[in-house]
Amino acid sequence: MAERGKSTGRPEEGLERAPSRIGEDPEERVIRALLDGFPNTVTDFKKLRKGVLRAKIERRELYKACKLLKDSLGFEHLSMISAVEYDSRFELVYHIVSYQERLLLELVTTTPKDDPSVDSISSIWGGANWQERESYDLMGIKFNNHPKLERILLPKDYVYHPLRKDFKG
Amino acid sequence: MAEMWINMGPQHPMTHGLWNLRIKVDGETIIDAEPEVGYLHRGIEKLCEGKTYTQIIPIADRLCYGASLSWSHLYCVAVEDLLGLEVLPRAEYIRVAALEMQRIASHLMWLAAYAADLGAMIGFIYSMRDREVFIDLLQALSGSRITYNFPRFGGVAHDIPPNFERDSLRACDYMEKRLKEYEDLYEGSKVFMLRNEGVGLLKKEDAMNLGVTGPSLRASGVRYDLRKDMPYSVYQELDFEPATHKDGDCYARFKVRMDEMYESCKIIRQAVTKMPKGKWRTLAPRNAPEGTGLGRVEDPRGEGVMYVVGDGTDRPYRLKIRSPIFVTVSAAPKMLIGYKIADVVAIMGGLDMCIGESDR
Amino acid sequence: MALRSKDFLKWCDEVLEGILRKSPVGSGIDYVTKDFFNWATRNSLYYLHFGIMCCALEMAVASAPRFDAQRMGVIARSTPRQVDILIVNGPVSKKLKPALRRLYDQMPEPKWVIAMGECAISGGPFYNSYSVVPGVDQFIPVDIYIPGCPARPEALIDAFIKLQKMIKDNKKGLLTGK
Repeated sequence: MAERGKSTGRPEEGLERAPSRIGEDPEERVIRALLDGFPNTVTDFKKLRKGVLRAKIERRELYKACKLLKDSLGFEHLSMISAVEYDSRFELVYHIVSYQERLLLELVTTTPKDDPSVDSISSIWGGANWQERESYDLMGIKFNNHPKLERILLPKDYVYHPLRKDFKG
Repeated sequence: MAEMWINMGPQHPMTHGLWNLRIKVDGETIIDAEPEVGYLHRGIEKLCEGKTYTQIIPIADRLCYGASLSWSHLYCVAVEDLLGLEVLPRAEYIRVAALEMQRIASHLMWLAAYAADLGAMIGFIYSMRDREVFIDLLQALSGSRITYNFPRFGGVAHDIPPNFERDSLRACDYMEKRLKEYEDLYEGSKVFMLRNEGVGLLKKEDAMNLGVTGPSLRASGVRYDLRKDMPYSVYQELDFEPATHKDGDCYARFKVRMDEMYESCKIIRQAVTKMPKGKWRTLAPRNAPEGTGLGRVEDPRGEGVMYVVGDGTDRPYRLKIRSPIFVTVSAAPKMLIGYKIADVVAIMGGLDMCIGESDR
Repeated sequence: MALRSKDFLKWCDEVLEGILRKSPVGSGIDYVTKDFFNWATRNSLYYLHFGIMCCALEMAVASAPRFDAQRMGVIARSTPRQVDILIVNGPVSKKLKPALRRLYDQMPEPKWVIAMGECAISGGPFYNSYSVVPGVDQFIPVDIYIPGCPARPEALIDAFIKLQKMIKDNKKGLLTGK
């Protein structure tokens, strides 16, 4: 069998991290850092299963919280941005992953029905760029400071936002 | 100099699938690139809001037709998380064996298309012939060649056919022999190596930031495989190593996929010999509770995620799908700038694009 | 007075059109060569390298060693100017519709269209979606329909044989079209 390249490649080197207490779970470290940085605006922590955390955040603090997650808590990967429409609000669910701690954080923010807009995080994680364009295209959510907020899956002159509940195909 | 925008697609022999790559060239060198997707948009997320949970399983198959079993499995994992349903042990092992066979078939399909694009037509012929071995096994298991409709909530649709264990072990032995021949064939070809080494570099930090996952991420030096790091199904009881490489060029992505095929053979051997006896199918409740379910699996192309929102009825309220190729294509400009037009084929081919899942 | 190029071209059109298409000379040439050209056409049908969805995998496998469509003389070509058949093998979305119509218009006569799989025939599992055209025969004339989801490679080879029989039964001269 030929030589197969093996590398550890763990993305540990060169990251400044928030200090941890002795014997602390990585999940608890994340909860503590978020509660310290955003005392009133991050609420409703829930541990869904091993390695999966859920939290709610207000939309004006989203950009700062994401910056904290990436820079000092070591969350390198933005997995998915989903937009869900309820009767009185829009909900945006961000799934953010930490490779080295093997954690997934589900961050939920809500926007009112008549002003569905939130800050774009594509300057923090480049992978958010196309996902935000897709949420704009299909659900009509506007992302402030996005470099190029245009339609991506539907033709450029399409008028509707098909995933809204009042759109009947 | 002569700068102009060129359209490669939607109909182009290089683009396996329908997408458009607009590149800005200065002579022969690429200075900017802009992929355009959406030609295959079928509105699956809206379609799923009107169908019952079981009616969506065959639709989830048709999301990515290159590796369709892994998408219907992902959907079942997400809904089982929403329902809080335990999967039967025998069904888990059958699922793992079938998933790894699907992974080998998908990588062989990629290799056939990649070799044909780079001019090595013999690679197309050999890979298609070997892929038929695994497609036959999957056809004996589920009844169909590419869109299987095989997993069910809490189990699988049918039990394994007679002689399945013997045939799978024979297929794995055959595949390992053929993989050795492929290594000699591809690495001994000077033209193939020249077209792949040093082309399409993607550094580790860029790969992590841009959301690239799967073999392309592991080829850039990050050792992250969902089957090992956040295991689902019975992967923590099986013994295998995720394949990595440190260079981040086209040759690294090629090597990672070839190594993954070796590892999949190892996993299939363990799964079919350790399979427990018992039932393989169970009843699931018709109405889902209110709440959310999350499923994350290691698709042959990257990390696939599904987020299901239930509202107490027998139809989902919202189904959101994360496709690995959608995000990897948006990272394409990083890999293309600075190379020549003839390198586009090697770079985009090495990403293993299956546009069905990108456009949904 | 000199002969202008416009007049020369008009003369070419009129005389050649008159001799070859409308007079007995054209029908004579057709009468002699019709069977031969028809045999050559039906035994070397080239299709376009155009894959939309799952049935495209089965189309690719049809050229693979197990099913081998090349024994019928069928080879895939990359540009629409060189092909006889357009195989539509997946659902056509509204964004793709103008591009597909343009591809069809770029093919030279004589040309045929095969609709492969349920999605091309009627929209398939996505028939009630907001962005899928329910059936490709809404804007392109189709000659052969292959049912199946996905259609097996043997069905595609059977379609080629049926198309060959169809071409043999409708023999047309290349010059006069009769």
